[in-house]
Amino acid sequence: MGGEGEDYIVEATGLSKQFMGFLAVQNVDLRVRRNSIHALIGPNGAGKTTTFNLLTKFLAPTTGTIRFNGEDITALEPAQVARKGMVRSFQISAVFPRMTVADNVRIALQRKLGTAYHFWRSARSLRVLDQRVEELLAAVGLSDDRDRHASELPYGRKRALELATTLALEPEMLLLDEPTSGLGHEDVDRMAELIGSVARQRTVLMVEHNLSVVARLADTITVLARGQVLCEGDYATVSEDPRVIDAYIGGVDA
Amino acid sequence: MTITPQLLFGQLLVGLINGSFYAMMSLGVAVIFGLLRIGNFVHGAQYMLGAFGAWFLLQLPTLFPGLGLPSLGYWWALAIVPLAVGAIGALTERFFIRKVYDLEHAYGLLLTIGLTMVLEGIFNARFGAAGMQYEVPALLKGGVNLGFMFLPVYRLWVIVAALVVCFGTWFLIERTKLGSYLRAATENPDIVRSFGINVPRLLMLTYGFGVGLAGLAGVMAAPIYQVSPQMGQNMVIVVFAVVVIGGMGSILGAVVSGLALGVIEGLTKVFYPQAASTAIFLIMAVVLIWRPAGLFGKDTAVHSGAEVVTARSESILENGRLWFVVLAAIGAAVPFFVYPVFAMKVLCLALFASAYNLIFGYVGLLAFGHAAFYGASAYVAAYAAAQWGLPPELSILSGIAVATALGALFGWLAIRRQGLYFAMITMALAQIVYFYILQAPWTHGEDGIQGVPRGKLFGLIDLNDTMAMYFFVLVVFLAGFAFVYRVVHSPFGQVLKSIRENEPRAISLGYSADRFKLIAFTLSAMLAGLAGGTNAIVFQIASLADVHFSTSADVLLMTLVGGVGTLLGPVVGAVIVATLQKELAFLGGWVLVIQGAIFILFVLFVRKGVVGAIEDFLSRRAVRRRNAEASAASPARAAKPGT
Ligand SMILES: Nc1ncnc2c1ncn2[C@@H]1O[C@H](COP(=O)(O)OP(=O)(O)OP(=O)(O)O)[C@@H](O)[C@H]1O
Ligand SMILES: [Mg+2]
Repeated sequence: MGGEGEDYIVEATGLSKQFMGFLAVQNVDLRVRRNSIHALIGPNGAGKTTTFNLLTKFLAPTTGTIRFNGEDITALEPAQVARKGMVRSFQISAVFPRMTVADNVRIALQRKLGTAYHFWRSARSLRVLDQRVEELLAAVGLSDDRDRHASELPYGRKRALELATTLALEPEMLLLDEPTSGLGHEDVDRMAELIGSVARQRTVLMVEHNLSVVARLADTITVLARGQVLCEGDYATVSEDPRVIDAYIGGVDA
Repeated sequence: MTITPQLLFGQLLVGLINGSFYAMMSLGVAVIFGLLRIGNFVHGAQYMLGAFGAWFLLQLPTLFPGLGLPSLGYWWALAIVPLAVGAIGALTERFFIRKVYDLEHAYGLLLTIGLTMVLEGIFNARFGAAGMQYEVPALLKGGVNLGFMFLPVYRLWVIVAALVVCFGTWFLIERTKLGSYLRAATENPDIVRSFGINVPRLLMLTYGFGVGLAGLAGVMAAPIYQVSPQMGQNMVIVVFAVVVIGGMGSILGAVVSGLALGVIEGLTKVFYPQAASTAIFLIMAVVLIWRPAGLFGKDTAVHSGAEVVTARSESILENGRLWFVVLAAIGAAVPFFVYPVFAMKVLCLALFASAYNLIFGYVGLLAFGHAAFYGASAYVAAYAAAQWGLPPELSILSGIAVATALGALFGWLAIRRQGLYFAMITMALAQIVYFYILQAPWTHGEDGIQGVPRGKLFGLIDLNDTMAMYFFVLVVFLAGFAFVYRVVHSPFGQVLKSIRENEPRAISLGYSADRFKLIAFTLSAMLAGLAGGTNAIVFQIASLADVHFSTSADVLLMTLVGGVGTLLGPVVGAVIVATLQKELAFLGGWVLVIQGAIFILFVLFVRKGVVGAIEDFLSRRAVRRRNAEASAASPARAAKPGT
């Protein structure tokens, strides 16, 4: 399809999700341009995380279709979606706590070896990945923590580890759910820089509350409120839209 | 067979009666699960307690001669016993159940299994397994002739009373203020507490109420079924299956499914009697394929595996190569000091427990039907050796093949549900195997397959020689032990570990978690089959005990005592439990009570098991030593603790 000659990597149409009578997401259309950074913002409870869950199939949409690279992925399992190249992170940091930092990254790299089901082989066969593990850890500044358990890392480093793990899969598209939430000032800057550099060869869709990060990174912004798309455009357009200001203030009240 | 109206209506009535009991029992289980998140396995024993309570009241003068107590009949029992059983329940909650609310669901189930063993064990040791009769009360004697059949009044009374009780409970919980507090208390205890309500007491009363329902069902059952210590055993597994079918979140679902399934079971007796005892379990399997959440259920949330894993992979206790050599050396020396037949028993059990640990310890799935794989393999191996005359290695392989296939099938069904449901489903599926083996012609029912020849290994080594047999078993054990170690420390094992640590994250990395779990479950079943088949050849018998539920409980006990999720735990646990069983055999029925007490003790106080506790000690010492070294290396820093 691809609109007016535009190249969209993700095209979701008419997405809705109902939780026992409550419509968390209603009739959302979302198109993400290839190799862009697209931000999804909106007040608490707007349905941003739910939209992520729908796109990555962690939740089955009540209605709607999702296309990724032109292929209909609405019926796929979440792990299949990930294998197609659309990989998500979670709002609350998601690491493997009782595995070492290096093992966290290695587990992602391991998939490409094609030996994930090989229960008869020694785990030592995974050492061929060591160099790539080092590179990825260096990229996010975690080289010195390689042998610590992930649970021992401070929060900001856990988020960095999570990003390294996601990048290990070399996904075409990343979905990041509030990558800077809970980080200190410097960590926010570092993370924003990382995301910016990562996005040069890939597409990023991110939920983000920190508007300065959004302003700095996002090419396109979609504003969600009460499960519906309120408006869409670049930062200047969106920040001047009176409906957006309304929605945020309404969201604060609620 | 001709189906007469008498037969049809007769079985329909029996079905309705059974269904009434299923409904009342499922109701209690659903209330306790819904509000306390406890899989109350002891419900069956509490039901038995109710029936015995009625019997006690009737026997008061004989039980306590000289006190001049009156014999209290049915109506007194109906009033007193549910209250008494409920009060016992409330005390049980206060002293045991309460301690595991904040732990994984698995521990609640384990705890109630321990309580069941203690209760049933006590009654068994005290009153024996034989059932006792309880007279139908005079007022409800006799029956009504409906023309096409004779309807005993007592049965009519049971159906009506059960319906009233079930409806009343449903009303209480779904339609009253108290019920709404109860529901709120389980969803958000803090808010309810802030209303000034004593939440712990509310939960205690809820548990007592659920247990009281079981007691009431017990009293009502006394005049119909035999009053015996085992009367709740199969009942509770059926009830678990009913709850899985109905959908656990739903009280109405439990009642409706209980009644309906009782009737369907009764009809099965008319049309296909062979399947009657497994009908409910088979229906459960179909429902799982068609509607995994249950007929009335809505809970499909994804939970991750049980938090029961203890091992630190860098610990010396987890060094597979080292311990393989150590165990081989000990194993080679043992038959010269220990009775080899006992040593072989321990080796088979240790292998079985290692197999079980693969799924419970390393995947975090509380499987509860491994006796099915162990026992099925034992029967097939025994049959292959005795009837087909296959050599021992091929007999055992046949057993393994069947266990593996069953494992793949059961795993495929059970993995649709998580946590507690998984345990209940595997338990129910294993009952299908048990009843099949009990009834099939080739298994010889209660006798089992006896006189299995040990034969010649590879046509060369005569296994009738005890030492040859022993070393064969030792080699089988070591191979199994090494296999488990390899699986855990393989690329596959790494992914399993990540799934256990954080399932959604592993999925988001592209790993289909369910497929990994299924493979692990199948491998575990395969190894359980290896243990069962070998055991049948060694002891030259396959018996009902091998497929019985208590074997699944035994293997769980061994793994728990030794240390769940540790390399050596299952082996240590097998040695401890087998030794206890042997040394305490003179106690007769009380062994079960002791085993149950050990279960409870370990769940409450030593959850990491013996090996886990040693591991904790070692790692604490390692940390202390590291700290000491660090301060020795930089005395300046040690002197200033502030930096
Ligand atoms: N599994 C669920 N069951 C029921 N309701 C849910 C579920 N998940 C989300 N909701 C509801 O759907 C709405 C949208 O939730 P969602 O998590 O998508 O919001 P969000 O935009 O990510 O908010 P936040 O900024 O707080 O992360 C909320 O009202 C939430 O309570
Ligand atoms: Mg969110």
